[in-house]
Amino acid sequence: MVLELQKPRPIWQIMFSTHHTDVGLLYLITSLAFLFLGGTLALAIRAELFLPGSQIIADSMTFNRMFTVHGTTLIFLFILPFASAVGNYLVPIMVRYKDMAYPKLNAIAFWMIPPAGALIWLGFADFTWYATPPYSIISAPGPAADMWIFGLKILGISSVLGAINFIVTILKCKHPDMSIGQVPLLAWSFLTSSLIVLVAIPTFAAALLMLLTDRLGVSGFFNPAMGGDPIAYAHLFWFTFHPEVYVLVIPAIGMMYEIIPRFSRKPIFSHSSGIFAFVLLSMVSFSSWAHHMYATGMSFTEKTVFMIGTLAAVPASAMHVFNFIATMWNGRIKFATPMMWAVGGIALFFSAGAGGVVNAAMPLDFQTHDSYWVVGHFHLFVMGTIAFGSIGFFYYIFPYVTGRMYNERMGQIHFILSFIGTVLVFFTQHVLGLYGMPRRVYDYPPIPEWITMNQIASVGAMVIGVSMVIFLINMIYSSGKGKLADTDDPFNLGGKYYYPFEAKNPHH
Amino acid sequence: MNQHNQEIYRTTSARTGKMMAIMLGICIVGGVIFFSMWDYWTSTPAAVVGMMSETIEHDPKTAFSGVHIPVTLSFIESADFRTLAFNALPGEEGHNPTINANVGDEINFEVVNNGKSFHAFGVTKAEEGFTGIIPGSEVASANNPLKPSESGKVDFIPGEEGTYYYICTVPGHREQGMVGEIIVGPAKSGGSAQAAAPTGVHHDFSIDFIESADFRTLAFNALPDEEGHNPEFRVKSGDEITFSAVNAGKSFHAFGIVSDPENVNNVLWNSAIAAASNPLKPGQDGSVTFTAGAPGTYYYICTVPGHALQGMKGSFIVE
Repeated sequence: MVLELQKPRPIWQIMFSTHHTDVGLLYLITSLAFLFLGGTLALAIRAELFLPGSQIIADSMTFNRMFTVHGTTLIFLFILPFASAVGNYLVPIMVRYKDMAYPKLNAIAFWMIPPAGALIWLGFADFTWYATPPYSIISAPGPAADMWIFGLKILGISSVLGAINFIVTILKCKHPDMSIGQVPLLAWSFLTSSLIVLVAIPTFAAALLMLLTDRLGVSGFFNPAMGGDPIAYAHLFWFTFHPEVYVLVIPAIGMMYEIIPRFSRKPIFSHSSGIFAFVLLSMVSFSSWAHHMYATGMSFTEKTVFMIGTLAAVPASAMHVFNFIATMWNGRIKFATPMMWAVGGIALFFSAGAGGVVNAAMPLDFQTHDSYWVVGHFHLFVMGTIAFGSIGFFYYIFPYVTGRMYNERMGQIHFILSFIGTVLVFFTQHVLGLYGMPRRVYDYPPIPEWITMNQIASVGAMVIGVSMVIFLINMIYSSGKGKLADTDDPFNLGGKYYYPFEAKNPHH
Repeated sequence: MNQHNQEIYRTTSARTGKMMAIMLGICIVGGVIFFSMWDYWTSTPAAVVGMMSETIEHDPKTAFSGVHIPVTLSFIESADFRTLAFNALPGEEGHNPTINANVGDEINFEVVNNGKSFHAFGVTKAEEGFTGIIPGSEVASANNPLKPSESGKVDFIPGEEGTYYYICTVPGHREQGMVGEIIVGPAKSGGSAQAAAPTGVHHDFSIDFIESADFRTLAFNALPDEEGHNPEFRVKSGDEITFSAVNAGKSFHAFGIVSDPENVNNVLWNSAIAAASNPLKPGQDGSVTFTAGAPGTYYYICTVPGHALQGMKGSFIVE
């Protein structure tokens, strides 16, 4: 953090530093840049779908390229690096160690992200973030598709290196006086999500290589014309990416565990149940991947197993929600911007979870499969829960990072508009899915209900867009000219709610 | 509460400005590379495409001649599973029956798996292997085959003369004997959609695809209740007709003449302009010249599924 600087340094020194707060700052800026880039694509997609027919995007290929890069960017280049930023800033401080366990590895993990981002953005592949075979093998044009594969390969390595670093920092470098049960919940969230990454990512790494060799024609794992099976790819992919959903959401919940006790001016209701729920979530994250594939002709037994495995995530998620509510209960809550985002995130987490529970039931899943319901559901999770937690936490650490306060009123307007927009877009998309609109379409038949609901969703997206412009202006203005923050209690909560200033990590 | 004496450094406008300049610079350089090479990045197909020699055959679409040929086939296996066949084992009566048909005849396959293994059905022109299955001629597939005692139906209209093969599409089964021939002869005249003798008369028709503001109503030339809405065209059998179509709407459209407006796939007399899979974009136009076939009442429609039902349907009467 800027607070810990001995003296202001030139930007190139920050860029080539291996200190955890410097790497955290780089992660933070990169992830926010990609948030705005990916968000712009989302607005273009919604503008295109405002009416049937062709509006602003020239053809369906361009549309496919845009939503592919939109998804890839916001998942791999915004949410994951943002969590790494927060982890880099706070995990060493929380476990009272001078830096991450392997500082150089940490910097390498960060510096893999810009080239990967460049590969993904320059190529603009068109086969969805899921790289659907056989399309991705025989029809997706190169070099865009190959660049995407290499980009994801690099990001996977970066994730694994980051995960190793977090695990070693927390387990081996924590202060000897601190038991593992005393490690704060934010650090616990990084421990559990990093363990998931270690187990889950290698499967997709293998699948990516197989996809590449299939494209080169030297193998036929997923190519039906050569005797392969695209469903095998679906299993390999979702074995990584269903747990990955928890990799995304667990740090966001950890961030809410930081924000909610501070702004409720109460200690967390139950530290141990939070830890238990994190560990439980990280285990059940591996029991649900095939619920993405009910419609591929699985046997009834398999479907039942994965349906129960999916529902097993409910108790753990509910433990978190109840923990938040019990913490807020009878607290002297201050609804500053970070708290608003956290509470809004909990509300939307509950809504998204409710949709997920009913969707896990096989009969409904067959109706909603590949429809806009699914789009609404996972966007409600990634935007409503994960991005809300992350943006709230960004407001929370903003004074610690810059030494200046953001504009509170603009922050609150940002939250209110984003909340309204998110509800408009993603609740409507659920209903749109039930009316039968398929996902990933460039054009749709002019059915009156579809048009109306698409227009509601597009208006909601524009509301989010406006709120994000306010956010951008607030950030740029406040980091240069915002009023000076009281670094001991920037939110005026009355009391010392942050880590002792002496615990900062000087540059070494 | 400030228990530390050292100065706190905070970000400044100058540093924020520098950072923004760096980020904008990266975005501008990246954007220039990106847009200047926009088409290059999607210019090369995957290497595997060139290596896959067997391409999917698209059988030319043919009008249905009105003749149905019902065929019942059952998948059977010898007791040792080494020999597979349709209907009867080699050397027995009815082994892999040969089907004789003419172009345009509809062969109604009814297949049933009477064996103990998994099977799937398809028609191909390839003389060996399990590839080149004509789309629409399959019952089940190698990935999701018919289980023992399951059955299925499919209708197949051969589009050109020659020899087709009906096979089990599970890899290896054809080589073990599950293959039979379909010998297709030339089209017989007299079918409902066959062209009459050319009369030498030529008609030029033109139509516009239009949409109401709320997209609920689609029409040709004018909205319902307006002058010139979905005009009726009358021609004589054997006349040569040129249709010019302009997409004056905001959605995608395609043109074709059909006998049943609910079946948009069976476009008659090669009268299609564009197709639902590759439609006319807004502002595009196209034209087609064809010869009117047998007398009757036909419809000119938008062949994009659903559009005919929303009003893009007019009468085309051949006398």
